Amino acid sequence: MSLHDLYHQYRDRVQFLMVYIREAHPVDGWWLGGGITGVVTKAIGFTAATDVYDPKTTEERQAVAGRCQSELKYEIPICVDTIDNVVNTAYAAHPTRLYLIGKDGRVVYAGRLGPFGFKPDELGEAIEKYLAAGQSKE
Amino acid sequence: MVFDVLKYRAANKAWQEKYDALAPKAGDIAPDFELCDVKGQNPIRLSAFQGQKPVALVFGSYT
Repeated sequence: MSLHDLYHQYRDRVQFLMVYIREAHPVDGWWLGGGITGVVTKAIGFTAATDVYDPKTTEERQAVAGRCQSELKYEIPICVDTIDNVVNTAYAAHPTRLYLIGKDGRVVYAGRLGPFGFKPDELGEAIEKYLAAGQSKE
Repeated sequence: MVFDVLKYRAANKAWQEKYDALAPKAGDIAPDFELCDVKGQNPIRLSAFQGQKPVALVFGSYT
């Protein structure tokens, strides 16, 4: 199940929020757009941008996030981490990570480290379990 | 290219291990934050959803 499937299934009962953080593969960093990796990423239909330089200001990061939102038609609301990466650091989130926060402000599910630990299915299971437990109390 | 993978993978892994040790685990209070949208407007505070809805946080970037 994709994140957008989850979003459409649960958005009435769960607030989804993308936190846009430091680039994973900018041109001036660990770039995946060149050489063999560039060919492979194109061949497998990789939807990530390969022409983005690491933003140097919060405003630059907001602009890249806006481009991501419009080009991918990304429906989940996006908020953008500041350039000092405070939120990214607090959640050890780079390059990708998922969390579910309960209504009491406590962590219900802390996804494993990305990219390999990024598992929307696990988030879906955590949401289902959390909502079911809440309903049983009502 | 191989050198890049080794260099950046090692750096990323070291960063993840350092900060994951400090990151919230299940049952911990989620660190609060307030961030703006892609236009630098409409600040959203995580704690504003307390008592209202659970929140699914999706961290990532376009690259």
